[in-house]
Amino acid sequence: MNLDFSQIVPYIPFMLEGIWVTLQFVFVAIIFGFILGTVLALFKIGSIRPLRWFADAYTSIFRGTPLILQLMIIYFAIPQLTGYDIQPFLSAVLAFGLNSSAYVSEIIRAGIQAVDKGQTEAAQALGVPYRQMMIDVILPQALKNILPALMNEFITLTKESALVSTISYLDLMRRAQVVGADLYRNFEPLLFVGLLYWLMVMGLTILGKLVERRLRLSD
Amino acid sequence: MIKVENLTKKFGENEVLSNISTEIKKGEVVSIIGPSGSGKSTFLRCINLLEKPTEGTILVDEENLTDPKTNILKVREKIGMVFQHFHLFPHLNVLDNLTYAPMKVKHLSKDQAEEKARGLLAKVGLTEKETAYPSSLSGGQKQRVAIARALAMEPDLMLFDEPTSALDPEMVKEVLDVMKDLAHSGMTMAVVTHEMGFAREVADRVLFLDHGVLVEEGEPNSFFTAPKTNRAADFLEKIL
Repeated sequence: MNLDFSQIVPYIPFMLEGIWVTLQFVFVAIIFGFILGTVLALFKIGSIRPLRWFADAYTSIFRGTPLILQLMIIYFAIPQLTGYDIQPFLSAVLAFGLNSSAYVSEIIRAGIQAVDKGQTEAAQALGVPYRQMMIDVILPQALKNILPALMNEFITLTKESALVSTISYLDLMRRAQVVGADLYRNFEPLLFVGLLYWLMVMGLTILGKLVERRLRLSD
Repeated sequence: MIKVENLTKKFGENEVLSNISTEIKKGEVVSIIGPSGSGKSTFLRCINLLEKPTEGTILVDEENLTDPKTNILKVREKIGMVFQHFHLFPHLNVLDNLTYAPMKVKHLSKDQAEEKARGLLAKVGLTEKETAYPSSLSGGQKQRVAIARALAMEPDLMLFDEPTSALDPEMVKEVLDVMKDLAHSGMTMAVVTHEMGFAREVADRVLFLDHGVLVEEGEPNSFFTAPKTNRAADFLEKIL
């Protein structure tokens, strides 16, 4: 055994900075994916056929191809096509957000459809317009039921974010590789960022539990 | 105030309502009775267009519901509905259940809506449950909240779809009492029910449906003591 963690000490601030860099785009991608996913879910359950068709096709494409491929297309192929020099941050947010929205839309669709049909009827009978009913009555109940599934998706996204190291975005993973190359030692930096990923996911898990508890107040 | 003309409803090939015509006058309490599967609930649900009639017209205050140009949301504001399974909003407390639609649909201020809601809760005897969530209420309490929620919109007409069928027997009375008070206050009501006592005592008129056909209608005393049709007589014999 030839483990020496003292070697990575000078690099710790550099690696810790990666937490912020990673969180930054993960956070934006989650929000983006969630909003787009909600819209797609509403398309899927709505009565407008072209929108339904679009949302289904969208989901099929973004779920049916590898995330790393989508990332590479956005980062490497789009500049080739348009001449626009896309930044790693924007590529990462787009790829992860677009990809995540496909999964989120399915989760939300299932959540909406699991809400008792009587809720829709009660709201309709009171004269509540469709949009208002969705926002105030159906979605809050759907979200409560799908929260664990959504948390799963957010955790997956947080971990998969390590893929952006392949487009030279200086995230947590990429920083571990940089340190490894510098020191000719890989085990220590990899283990260290592994711990950081785990802590981030734990933080997310606890946050999810808190939100869940709040939503269960009405039970 | 409601005029139903030649109402027919089909689910696919299955005809659940055949050519029904009747009228409900202002202030009248009408009980709709009949065996299960006779189309009673579907008939009631057509009146606020939760079910779309296949044929025929429904006029509510001279407004034709089956006309595509009619603003159905506006019509529904005037028609309250109480469901068998309550359908309270589980994520809102009792007071918010009552104030939600008046605030969002009629744009009452929070104070106005809450004042109105508290008055209604007092009327149905649930003042102390204001901050409770529906999941903590008994069936009878839930149904009384549901009635209050519908009344909060100040409807001209109340529809009741088997309001006591999902309740434990000891809770039926508290709900029927609220409905009786409401009937005596002059509310126009259409009540699908299996409570023959209520139909007999409170209703001004009884509609008897069987296999989607309006077989008989009449004043409750004569209907219950001397039904004009064999089908009604058979039905009454089985349940009384």
